[in-house]
Order: sequence, then structure tokens, then C-alpha cells
Amino acid sequence: MAKKTYDLLFKLLLIGDSGVGKTCILFRFSDDAFTTTFISTIGIDFKIKTIELRGKKIKLQIWDTAGQERFHTITTSYYRGAMGIMLVYDITDMKSFENIVKWLRNIDEHANEDVEKMILGNKCDKADKRTVSKEQGETIAREHSIRFMETSAKANVNIERAFNELAEAILLKTAGKEPGDPVDRVTVDRRPTNTSKSCCN
Amino acid sequence: MAYKAKLKEFDDLLQQDIIDLETLKTLSFRGIPDDQSKRPLCWKLLLNYLPPEQNEWKKCLSEKRELYKHFIKEMIVIPGSKESSGDVTMGDHPLNINPDSEWQTFFKDNEVLLQIDKDVRRLCPDISFFQQPTEFPCKDIVNGEDGKRLHSRVQRSVLKCANVERKGLGITKIALLSKKANEDYAPMTEGKEAHWEVVERILFLYAKLNPGQGYVQGMNEIVGPIYHAFASDADISFREHAEADCFFCFTNLMSEIRDFFIKSLDESDRGINEMMNRLLNQLKVCDLDVWLKFQQLDLKPQYYSFRWITLLLSQEFPLPDVLRIWDSLFSDKKRFNFLIYVCCAMIVILRNQLLDGDFPSNLKLLQNFPSMDVQIILSKAVELSQSRCFKMNTH
Repeated sequence: MAKKTYDLLFKLLLIGDSGVGKTCILFRFSDDAFTTTFISTIGIDFKIKTIELRGKKIKLQIWDTAGQERFHTITTSYYRGAMGIMLVYDITDMKSFENIVKWLRNIDEHANEDVEKMILGNKCDKADKRTVSKEQGETIAREHSIRFMETSAKANVNIERAFNELAEAILLKTAGKEPGDPVDRVTVDRRPTNTSKSCCN
Repeated sequence: MAYKAKLKEFDDLLQQDIIDLETLKTLSFRGIPDDQSKRPLCWKLLLNYLPPEQNEWKKCLSEKRELYKHFIKEMIVIPGSKESSGDVTMGDHPLNINPDSEWQTFFKDNEVLLQIDKDVRRLCPDISFFQQPTEFPCKDIVNGEDGKRLHSRVQRSVLKCANVERKGLGITKIALLSKKANEDYAPMTEGKEAHWEVVERILFLYAKLNPGQGYVQGMNEIVGPIYHAFASDADISFREHAEADCFFCFTNLMSEIRDFFIKSLDESDRGINEMMNRLLNQLKVCDLDVWLKFQQLDLKPQYYSFRWITLLLSQEFPLPDVLRIWDSLFSDKKRFNFLIYVCCAMIVILRNQLLDGDFPSNLKLLQNFPSMDVQIILSKAVELSQSRCFKMNTH
């Protein structure tokens, strides 16, 4: 038997409208690079990355899905096994933001009840084209008690942080809540970081 | 020389008054020569766009090309010029709920267009072809108002604004943001058109003419190789009409594979699920060990073969290899049976790695198929298709 090279395995899922940058986010996280030359995702794609959290090696198995309605029957079958879901919209595309509600409903219907969720407003480097304000993102996240962050796969803003926080939330849940370390699920991007401030305002 | 002999075989065949389609299929199955416009011509025959009778080609082509011009006029040029002159509002208004309202159609079209626009701009990004200007832009469109250029209808226009930053005691800093440099897939200037804009128009017209189906992501990957083959035809008299010819060939091809794209037909006997089941059954026959390994890992065919089948493998290989694979797929007498064998061959060729691998490494391998001589895959597929009966009998 091959030796296990990790302590825990977390399955994550990226969903959201087509063209919001799901594949780019994943590529930034797994290969630390950015390219605009991505073909559209058909069906489902897959990447792995091992991270270290609290002294534990965690293998993240991340599924990247196609955004268009046609692929929902294929993609919703992955919801069930997911322990964490990242819901992505594009801050320059109001429609993709409005559809967040639809995607949340999809999660309710198909995912495990205790799945950890996070909303990402991507492309925050494109300040001149922004149509969704950061407050709008924060508000919808607060309404649904979900974590929220603005990200940029291009400028590498908050990508790693997003995956780490989602993984951490799952870790805490699986380990059972640790005393003296309260988990505030309503945390909505409370810690302002320099990176996000310089880029996303 | 073998290649020359092959060319001659095609030459002889294509000079016949009535082309023997069976022979054409047999020859094309082994690969159509890249030179002398053979591929675009053979594909037009194999996709039933051109009839086998040579003397009817001229008439057939001119009729179809005329018809295509008419489609453009009716569905793009006229609505486009109305938009730019504000004419759509005549006796009609954007909030009109009447289904016949032109505004309603306009908005609905733009929704489809938005999706197409996103996808054609990311078509075959590893080659520069689609970003280059075509020699033959559609004159009715490039020399007119912006409303006729499809992408301009869905450009997200944002009101210009200044970022106002307040610092300390009322000192304000106003920063005007300048636009970024043009992206690679930027539309061309007046009078010019990039190949991706042409593909956008083909897909838009297809969606308009097939409203029940519309546009589904991935159709761009089907039209791409056909358009590339036609728009690089050595014969200028064909190259000039690449757009119209491609539209009809794409339409014909879609009539055979459209079920893969329709969600409600997923479960039908020509839908994508049935195709994936057939692949899995074929794998069981060809390589029981790998099949068992997949069972054990719970590695389902939709994880890797959904894209393979829906896109006829166009995202798995570099374009020249895709063209070669399609030569065989289009010549398949029981069309798209051979596709299953090719998919199966791809798996069988990787069997040693797959039998050793775990779930993630296997899935990674299948989703990023290693580069190899495509002939190896095709030969394997032929071998599997021929040994099937034999194996079935002995089991």
C-alpha cells in the first residue's frame, strides 16, 4: 500500500455563472499563475492541492463546474459529496450577482445540509468596470450567514486566503468545535487586509 | 511515395462526375491529405452539404450562400440598423409584454448573444488564428452602424465615473480611471472583422434558427475546427464563402449530435447518458481490468467522457489532431459509433498507468490526455472495433 501523504481529504466545489472566472481562480490557487486563455469548461474539471493547516496536511480535491444551465444535471450530482462550496460572481457583471440567489437555492436542494459555503466576488482588479459594490456582496452574504470575500485571480488577491478559510471552517467542523476557539459563521470579511484594500475599493 | 499515392487516390475519386460516397468514406477514414483543399471539400461531401453529383455543386453552393446572406440580412442587419436609428421604439417600447414586441425579441437575443460572446472569445486560445482578421469580412456588417456588429450589442457599457477619495479634512482626490489596453480578442476597426466575430455570427444565426435548442456552451468548439478548415482552404473561391459553407455544414453536423446538447434528452437513447453508457460497456468488453478498477474507484464516465463525447474530442487534442480524428468520425458509416471506440482506445492505451493510479491521479490523467501520436489512438480504435465480435463470441 502506498503511504498516505495527507491527513485529511476535503472535497470542494466551485460554482457560479459562466465567465465569472471559476477556472482562473482554481488555476491561480493550484498553479499560482493567471492566463486569460481559458477555454470554457464543459461538464466538470478537477484539480488537487495539498495545504497545511494547524499542523495537518489537508488534501483539497477541487471540482470546477460549467456555468451554463445545460450542465446543471451533470454538475448538481457533485454537490452531495462536497464539504465546501465556493460560489463565485463577477463584480463587473450584475447578472452573475443576481443569480447568486439561484445558486444558493441549488445548494439547498442538492448539497449536504452542513456544507460550508463562501461567496466570492471575483475580478476586483477591474475597478473601472465594477457594477456590483462590495457592500452589496457583503449584504447578501450576511443575509445568508455565509463568508464573503472579493477576489482577483488576475492580481492574486485573496485567492489563497479564500481556500484556506474555507478549509479551516471545514476542519473546525470535522474536528468538532474546539473550546476557546469560537467559530463565528457570520464573519463577513472582517479583517481588512492591505491587498484587498489597495485593489478592491 | 505513400502520401503522393494517397493524394492521387483522392484526386481520382474527386474528379468523378458522380462521386462514390462509399469510396470517399473508406479513403477519408484513413485520413484526408492536408494539402490541396482536400479536407474542406471532403467534409462538405461527408456532411451532406454537397451532393455527390459534381454538376449540381455550382447551383447548390450559390443557392445556399444566397440563403445565408438572406439570413444575415433578416436577422442581424435589419434589427441592427433599427437599433442604431432608434426605430425599435416605434409603437413599441422596452417594457412591452407582448411576445411579438421587437424589444422582447431584441432582449432575448441579446441574452443568447451574451453567452456566445463570452465563449467565442475563448475559442482555441492556443492558436492565434481566431484573433486574426478575415480576408472576407461581411460587408453589410462591417461598413455599417455598430448595432449590426453583434458583440457591440452586448458590450457592457458602464457610465464613466470618477473615483472620489476623501482623506482627512475634506481633501478630495479625484482619480479618473483610464481604460486598459485592448485585450487579445478585441473587435477590429471599421471595415475589418476577426475570425472569432464570424464564428459568433454563425452561432447566433444557428441559435435564432433553432430556438428550441438555442446556444449551448461547447457548440463553439464544434464550429471552430470546421470554420478553421474552410477558412484556410487553398482555393480562394471556396475560402471566400467559408462562413456560409461552414454554417450549413455545422447545422448538418448538429442535426446528428444535437441530442448531446439538450438537457431534456440526457436520458433518451441518443442522448449523452446513453453514449457514456455505451462507452462504459465497450470498456468492459475491451478491458475488464480497467473497468473493474474504475468501478472500485467509483470513477464515473461523466467525469471524463462527458466532454470527450459532447465535443467530439475537440478539447482533448491540438487542432491538427482534431482535424485528423474528425476525418474518421465523419467517414464513420454508422456515424459516431467510431467515436466510442476512439474514447475506449484512449483509455486502453493508458491502462498501465490507470491500473496503478488512485482516483485523483487517474482523473487528472483522463482529463488532461497526454500528448501522443494521434495515429496510435486511431489504430487502436480500429483494432478494438474489429476485435469486438471475436471477443464477444469467445466470452
